[in-house]
Amino acid sequence: MFVYEKKLQYPVNIKNPNPKLAKIIITQYGGPDGELGASLRYLSQRFTMPLPELKATLTDIGTEELGHLEMIGAIVYQLTKGLTEKQIKDAGFEDYFVDHTTAIYPQSASGSPWTAAYIQSKGDAITDLHEDLAAEQKARTTYDNILRFCDDYDVKDAIRFLRQREVVHYQRFGENLRILTDKLDSKNFYAFNPEFDKKCFKNQMKKR
Amino acid sequence: MTEREILMKKLASYQFMVDDLQLYLDTHPRDKATIEKMRGYREELKPIMKSYEEKYGPLFADNSGNNKWKWINTPWPWENEVDE
Repeated sequence: MFVYEKKLQYPVNIKNPNPKLAKIIITQYGGPDGELGASLRYLSQRFTMPLPELKATLTDIGTEELGHLEMIGAIVYQLTKGLTEKQIKDAGFEDYFVDHTTAIYPQSASGSPWTAAYIQSKGDAITDLHEDLAAEQKARTTYDNILRFCDDYDVKDAIRFLRQREVVHYQRFGENLRILTDKLDSKNFYAFNPEFDKKCFKNQMKKR
Repeated sequence: MTEREILMKKLASYQFMVDDLQLYLDTHPRDKATIEKMRGYREELKPIMKSYEEKYGPLFADNSGNNKWKWINTPWPWENEVDE
């Protein structure tokens, strides 16, 4: 189960509204490499993972991603708070505004609504870990791209924290992949699906 | 920064150390020194959480007081000082 804690993983305190920036940052809420996809990807993949390290990592990173989703929501909320109609118009925020006013909606920067097609849960630990490694790098690039358009210290500070977490998660998923392949036949990692063909692990192979 | 923001930053920093070390331990479960380190940060976090909750209200709903249900009125994490 999940228990809600009334705090953000990293505090967000934005003083100046900036709807233009909000419109690009929303992509990390519900875009192709955003935090909603990240959390659902890991929290879905974990059920069929074969090793304790992998189940734990996916559970804990997936949970942290829900915290990141909340942080992005807070950033977008604070960037669009108390806007005047003129500010909305000047920033080109009308297209988002007509559909959602200033509510938080999971969509990409270009306006596509979130879809489960952004993620995969393939049922093969090697395949899924490669997906996860790629996902962390794609999110890192997205944060790098967002930082190109950030001139507000308060926003930059929070985005930099999130960017750094992508790097740490990439490291942990890399360790997961090594832990997994260390237990497989080094002559051919891909001869079996380690989530489906239970007898592919070294200790079980000896018994056969 | 307000006093609440300063205390929240401290709380979030200690919590972060606990969470980040926990993630590390998922792939290094036999690293005793890190287990000790994580326990240390968790111990240091406890009084910070207590002092935050006493001053600014509950972090968890089931910790919302006996006479008055404080959960609904204390600040939500996405609201900054402008809202308060």
